[in-house]
Amino acid sequence: MSCEVLLIGLNHSTAPVSVREQITFPGNQDGEVAHRLLSVEGVGEAIIFSTCNRSEILSVAEDASATTPRLINAISLINAIKPESFMDHLYVKVGTDAVRHVFRVASSLDSMVVGEPQVLGQVKECYKRASAVNATGPILNRLMHKAFFTAKRVRSETGVALAAVSVAYVAVELAKKILGDLRDKSVLLVGAGEMAELAARHLAGQVEKQVTVVNRTFENACVLAKQLHGRAAVMEQIEECLVTADIAITSTGSCETLIKCAHLAKVMRRRRYRPIFLIDIAMPRDVEPEANDIDGVYLYNIDDLQSVAAENMGERRQEALRAENVVLEEVAKFMDWTRSLDSTPTIVAIRQKLETIRQSELARCNGKLADLTAGQREAVEMITRSIINKIAHDPIAFLKKTKSRPKRNLYLDVAQRLFDIRGPESDPDSGEEESVEK
Amino acid sequence: MDLIFFKTAIVFYLAASAVYLFFLVSLITKSAPIALWSAATGFALHGLSIIHRAVLCGFFPLGTPFDALSFFAWFIMGLFLLLQYRVPSPVFGSIAAPMASVLMLFGSTFSYQIREPLVPILHSWWLPIHVILALAGNAVFALMAIGGFMYILQERLIKNKRIGRFHKLLPALETLDKINRHGLPFGFFLLTLGIMSGALWAGSVWGFYWSWDPKETWSLITWFAYAAMVHQRIVLGWRGKRAAVLALIGFVLVMFTFVGVSALLGGHHAFTGAAGMGAVKL
Repeated sequence: MSCEVLLIGLNHSTAPVSVREQITFPGNQDGEVAHRLLSVEGVGEAIIFSTCNRSEILSVAEDASATTPRLINAISLINAIKPESFMDHLYVKVGTDAVRHVFRVASSLDSMVVGEPQVLGQVKECYKRASAVNATGPILNRLMHKAFFTAKRVRSETGVALAAVSVAYVAVELAKKILGDLRDKSVLLVGAGEMAELAARHLAGQVEKQVTVVNRTFENACVLAKQLHGRAAVMEQIEECLVTADIAITSTGSCETLIKCAHLAKVMRRRRYRPIFLIDIAMPRDVEPEANDIDGVYLYNIDDLQSVAAENMGERRQEALRAENVVLEEVAKFMDWTRSLDSTPTIVAIRQKLETIRQSELARCNGKLADLTAGQREAVEMITRSIINKIAHDPIAFLKKTKSRPKRNLYLDVAQRLFDIRGPESDPDSGEEESVEK
Repeated sequence: MDLIFFKTAIVFYLAASAVYLFFLVSLITKSAPIALWSAATGFALHGLSIIHRAVLCGFFPLGTPFDALSFFAWFIMGLFLLLQYRVPSPVFGSIAAPMASVLMLFGSTFSYQIREPLVPILHSWWLPIHVILALAGNAVFALMAIGGFMYILQERLIKNKRIGRFHKLLPALETLDKINRHGLPFGFFLLTLGIMSGALWAGSVWGFYWSWDPKETWSLITWFAYAAMVHQRIVLGWRGKRAAVLALIGFVLVMFTFVGVSALLGGHHAFTGAAGMGAVKL
């Protein structure tokens, strides 16, 4: 029974933010929690992915179906939340599906804004934490490096990354269609999400006035304001800020609606009905959707912008399809490798390799051995065979003996490398594999 | 041969309208400049036609409904072409060009014969002052109405999130609102002067300034409507869609005062009648 890659988690499309907020794996800053997961029976390696849009456990498990409930239990223990409250939002992926999911996440195909560049950095960070405490082993190390490699391929070979940029571009174009010349307009940023920052950067290039950043934690507002050469304000000032701003991007994602219709109607009177362009990137929404009906308020959420962007570039779907193909290709390669990570084929391959060497060496000396009698010949055959058997005996016995899964995977991997029996798909990207040796 | 310039101008306006509409349907970008050039050529020929009429008439050719409508259309096209520098939108042209064409075709249903001898009252410098001011004001209101119509269209597309190619052809909402913002005081100023010049003209000829002639009454109603608009805009800050809707309503009033009153209600601005326009009703 070979081990399998197992992924359990929830993301922005399966779980509301109220659930996502509760499953954040507190205390995992240094990967400590990931290490603790190794004590769950059947789990050999583990990484915790926890970003604002997803919480997932990626693990290598002896028996996926038996390990799943134990892991769910662990999630509920670590986050101090009852399993019933998040069970419905979970997805469980095993084997190829899990690998594909990880590759898609790293390539930003599973993001809320497809193609947004930040997710790869977050995934790398999560992996670094887990590997720092040795929670990862040969399979996840290789899986993650392949995931990064896939992400790189997707970014360079397809136009998916452009899609996220195009959402920001659409926002700028729309702002121009609503507000005309943008130079004398001002931008307000409420909250500091990834996509909001991207859009703000695009808009900041068009406006000459300072960008204002409002955030619940003033320090974060200051940091982002500094980056955008703008100014920061506290949440209490939001109404003042809305009165002066022409474009407002909201991305706080707080549970309750931040900007209500009544609120906005008042703001509009104070603005003397100057039009305002609201871009709501948060999930759940920060602005009441009905606000779009208020005269002079133009409210777009991220889905609206995306569908406009999709209309703009007809090939976008094709790009996503190409990206999915890249992912599938890499998944197939990875699965080939995991299949090879079984002791029997490895041992067979080692034997075969040695046998080939023996045969070829004998063949080379065929001329010199021509004078031997049949009996002598047999003796040579026997001696050489027994030499390779003696050489192979200890490593093979060792590989067979190793019981612990993660160790065995590691040794199998090392053995394959030592005997160079990797097969033809030896890594073109081996530069990325330093930490596998670690 | 009397109307050679007038007729060719109509042909060019109609051609411009057709090409503009073709452009809106087909979205073949090359066709838009053709339409604009056609409209500009029509405008130039139209100008020649007015000069031609002036030569034939020996005075400002403004005494007949034919001439008044032609002058009105000429102003609209002139303002439209002027605006093309600031608000280059083919949608604008595809409303302005048919509008001018219709006005001219409507004008050509009236007799273009210059009455001989010219009614003495029309042989006054008040004639060009009064008519040009009034018609220029009306033309500004017409452009405001077109801008308002486009505003309502564009705003609807943006609000309903239908950001297609048609949306791209329409100018920005703020740009369209600017037409209203600048046009409103300007048009109102021209209308006021137009009414005042009419009163002064009447005073100098008939001895009284105001006689509650239907045209005068309706002009006053129009004036109040636009005065209210100026008030809403400047004092209450009305803008955008409300201003656009008001511009449309105002223009309906303008057209009724200009065409409807003369055609239906008579008075000394009546299109028909024994002596035609400007006949003394006393």
